[in-house]
Amino acid sequence: MALIDWKPEYEVGVPAVDAEHRAMIEMINDVYRELEGTPDPDTIEHALGEIHSGIAAHFALEEQMMRRVGWREYEEHKANHEELLDDMRDLMDVHAANPEQGREELQRRLADWFTVHFASFDARLHAAFPDSHHH
Amino acid sequence: MAGPVKRLVQSGFERIGLLLERVLGGEGNPLAYLGALTIFLFWIVLVSGVWLFLFFRTSIDGAYDSVEYLTHGQWYFGGVMRSLHRYASDAAVVTLVLHIVHEWAGDRYRGKQWFSWITGLPLLWIVIPLGITGYWLVWDSLAQYVALTSAELLDWLPIFTDSMARNFLLAESVSNRFFTLMAFLHVIGLPLFLVFAIWLHVFRISQPSINPPRTLMAVSLLGLLALSIAFPALSQGRADLSEVPQSLGLDWYYLAAYPLTQAWSPGAVWALLAGCSLLLFIAPWLPPRRTPPVARVDLDNCNGCRRCADDCPYGAVTMQPRTDGSRYEVEAVVDPALCVSCGICVGACPTAMPFRKASALSPGIDLPDISALMLREELEQLASGLEGTGRVIVIGCDGSGQLKDLADSATAVLMPRCAGHIPPAYVDYILSRDLADGVLFAGCADGTCRYRLGQQWTEARIGRERDPHLRARVDSRRVGMAWEVASAPARTPAQALAELRGRLSALQADQAPAPRPPARGWVRITARGLGAALFAVAAGAFSSWPVFELLGPEESVLSLSFSHAGQRVSECRRLTQDELNDLPPNMRKPMDCPRERRPLRVELRADGEVLYQRTLEASGLWSDGESTVYARFTLPAGTHRMFVGMADSGRETGFDYRHERAVTLRPGQHVVIDFDPANDRFRIREE
Repeated sequence: MALIDWKPEYEVGVPAVDAEHRAMIEMINDVYRELEGTPDPDTIEHALGEIHSGIAAHFALEEQMMRRVGWREYEEHKANHEELLDDMRDLMDVHAANPEQGREELQRRLADWFTVHFASFDARLHAAFPDSHHH
Repeated sequence: MAGPVKRLVQSGFERIGLLLERVLGGEGNPLAYLGALTIFLFWIVLVSGVWLFLFFRTSIDGAYDSVEYLTHGQWYFGGVMRSLHRYASDAAVVTLVLHIVHEWAGDRYRGKQWFSWITGLPLLWIVIPLGITGYWLVWDSLAQYVALTSAELLDWLPIFTDSMARNFLLAESVSNRFFTLMAFLHVIGLPLFLVFAIWLHVFRISQPSINPPRTLMAVSLLGLLALSIAFPALSQGRADLSEVPQSLGLDWYYLAAYPLTQAWSPGAVWALLAGCSLLLFIAPWLPPRRTPPVARVDLDNCNGCRRCADDCPYGAVTMQPRTDGSRYEVEAVVDPALCVSCGICVGACPTAMPFRKASALSPGIDLPDISALMLREELEQLASGLEGTGRVIVIGCDGSGQLKDLADSATAVLMPRCAGHIPPAYVDYILSRDLADGVLFAGCADGTCRYRLGQQWTEARIGRERDPHLRARVDSRRVGMAWEVASAPARTPAQALAELRGRLSALQADQAPAPRPPARGWVRITARGLGAALFAVAAGAFSSWPVFELLGPEESVLSLSFSHAGQRVSECRRLTQDELNDLPPNMRKPMDCPRERRPLRVELRADGEVLYQRTLEASGLWSDGESTVYARFTLPAGTHRMFVGMADSGRETGFDYRHERAVTLRPGQHVVIDFDPANDRFRIREE
């Protein structure tokens, strides 16, 4: 697994969500690059903290949007989000416990983590926000 | 001076609240729901009042009889309804006054919370007249006393020139019209004001508690029902204006100020009431004032997720269109006029994340003087001083000064604004980064959260029912709440701390703590019964006790009451031609008739002793109206030589009208001396 590239299918059409997805890819790629070299454990830990904060806010916004339009699969998405947040917290703890050993695993799981998220917020949701292009 | 008193009252409330919670459970603690309980009592009053109104006859002759019918003819239902109507009203005064004291002691009336305080106070001024008009409608001897004393109080106010009290001296002068007015005020007028005032009182609060928990409703209704059956509300004898009741069972909840009218004077009673009201009304602006800076939004960290707006107990955060040109739709905006700086919004913000260390820990919304960053730094500093195996960080709040006493080598106390100020991620941070072994949320006693919803949101967030919630990975056995009472009796923070430590050491020893035995059914039932009894005592204790002695056993009452216009200062006179010439042509009228009247000089003597001696100026702007005399005297029963005289011609000595004769007064008799305008003579009326 390498760096995450932005793909057209990632585009959901909601400007706020797309912007946050791009920012998240940016953050994950930064950590990824850091891990390629000789990483400073504190830098990684701090960056993971930022990602955790960023995705927590991102999910909060997505969930609020889904609730607003009465999204049918809200409960599933919500559960998915919780799982992803727990995963991220696990990654943080794994790294905190053993910065050296967790390195490769971290690289792999970070990228997986992001693609899993895309499975949860797909283009179907976009259809529920017909106004979003005009903002 | 108010400071120590307030702290004393506050700690009294906390102790009693804790006790009540132990007895009744958190759902049954009336002190936590005083406002909602008052509204619930109003409902009882409304429902029972509708029943009473169906059978009530609005007339002097019908009122007493219809109430008697309800009480005795229909004792099994109408009588109970009447008693519920009275006792729920009495209880409402108790809860209302306690609610005011409670909010005052908890410092929830100042600053941004002034609105609820100011809109709540007029409720007292609506509820008390509601009770007074209610007692009036029964038209028993208490009603007679209430009518006369109310009239004396109102007469003192410079609204009516004639005396209203004179309506209630003689049976012939009491009119059905007056009854209709009272019934209108009691049944429609004042209740309308009440509903509007309640709406005004709660509409600005987000998620106000309008209904108390069911347990509490059941317990209080049970108490009132028991009271109604054991001590039904009764009338105190048909009103008879020729008699003065020697003693009355006074409802002190509503009528406490009435005896003062006779003991002092109507003016003194008004001064007392106005003084107290004024003090209450300006209380929010009395020193010391302390206004921490309001919450601040950092747009760089705000994506408009709304959680702060959802959790703000004061509706101070709203979502508005984005102003920074970013791709987000909305941003949080704080209304500085509503924000009380409780920090509950910070506790809701997903970016208030202590794990953030690459960028500055600046959440989307934050308190400038106790920022999320400062909280993390203080936590780390506190944690570095902890040692031992059961290290606990206690989280207090603005409402809990004494918590600091808990600090020792294994216990540190963090003081955010409110428990709800701490995001659940901080608990995750404390436990996963090994800053401590456990976290205890303490602070305000249950249901008395200084910032309204802080405890509720904290419980829901830690209980994983409300976002942002404590992550499932965090062992919630390591988190305690001093106020948590859902299934267990409430504990002091020290007890809760000990309990948490017990759990922590059990976890340490890798064994599950013994589950708490569930409370036995009969214990709970007894406790609720006790609660109902307590409620009944609070509602009924002063409902007709202590008995108010109006008159000694050998005393009677004499009223002097009449209106009379003094003679004109000068007679009409024809103007001279010279005087007419001096006037403008349009004002040349041949006769000059001055309107001004002479003052009345009135004297009343009993057995040669002067009871009343006064000179009354004519009323009206032009001093051309009637003068009104109204005075009441208590005399020993027996035969007295009465003399009454009046001069209306301005003469210095002697009287233009006089009347003198022996009068024999029975104990408790009410005799009226008035002036018969048709025959221009005084009458002593002993009917």
